[in-house]
Amino acid sequence: MRTYKFFGSRNSGAKNWYMQRISGIILVIVLIGHYVLMHATPDAGHTYKAVLERMHSPFWKGIDLTFVTLGLWHGLNGTWNVFRDYTLKPWLSNLIQILLILLGLTFWFIGLNTILSF
Amino acid sequence: MSNLTVTTFFSRWLEVLFNYRKHTGSWAWILHRITGLGLTLYIMVHIIALTGLLKGEAAFNEEMAMFKSPVFLFGEWLLGALVMFHSLNGVRIALVDFGNGARYHKQILAFVYVLGVLMVAGMAYLIFLH
Repeated sequence: MRTYKFFGSRNSGAKNWYMQRISGIILVIVLIGHYVLMHATPDAGHTYKAVLERMHSPFWKGIDLTFVTLGLWHGLNGTWNVFRDYTLKPWLSNLIQILLILLGLTFWFIGLNTILSF
Repeated sequence: MSNLTVTTFFSRWLEVLFNYRKHTGSWAWILHRITGLGLTLYIMVHIIALTGLLKGEAAFNEEMAMFKSPVFLFGEWLLGALVMFHSLNGVRIALVDFGNGARYHKQILAFVYVLGVLMVAGMAYLIFLH
């Protein structure tokens, strides 16, 4: 069996490229609604009562979960794409990936905790 | 790596960056990258800020009142500008990758800049004057 000089060299990144496009398109669509809600009607967007009402509805919960998940993934995968443009030693490349994944999971759980507390 | 090699590496990197000939797409790529990193940082701040919801009505409303101060309003507008460029150019990238955008990517970029400036001006109206 062939030993690869660089770990992960079998991964072309094609799936990540594809998912980056798909998540980006979904994020743009959700963002339009988000912007209209938060900035065209600031009171509906920012008062505690209005926010809590949305937080209790399954529809808005779904929107928020999608937003947090795709937003974080898209952002951190994009950050990984920046690193990928440079030649990295395998250990450094692995370390950065692990750190990005941990960062993503940490903030994902914080976001999930806020959304699912209501 | 010693301090010296880090400096040499960095100055060489800067040298390459500045000596590269920048075509129209290069600027879009640079801006997409900077705005993307900024937005990634922002979504984390945003997630932390919204944990304020768990502290009850008074604390949350106090936090929201803080966001209405001029400094935060300006930050909101700046954020809107980052989002606007990143999403418009993101649509351009999707068109180039999935559609026939490679033929028209320069025209789409001109469209991105014009529409972006108009939308960011509209945001200034919504945020500062509405």
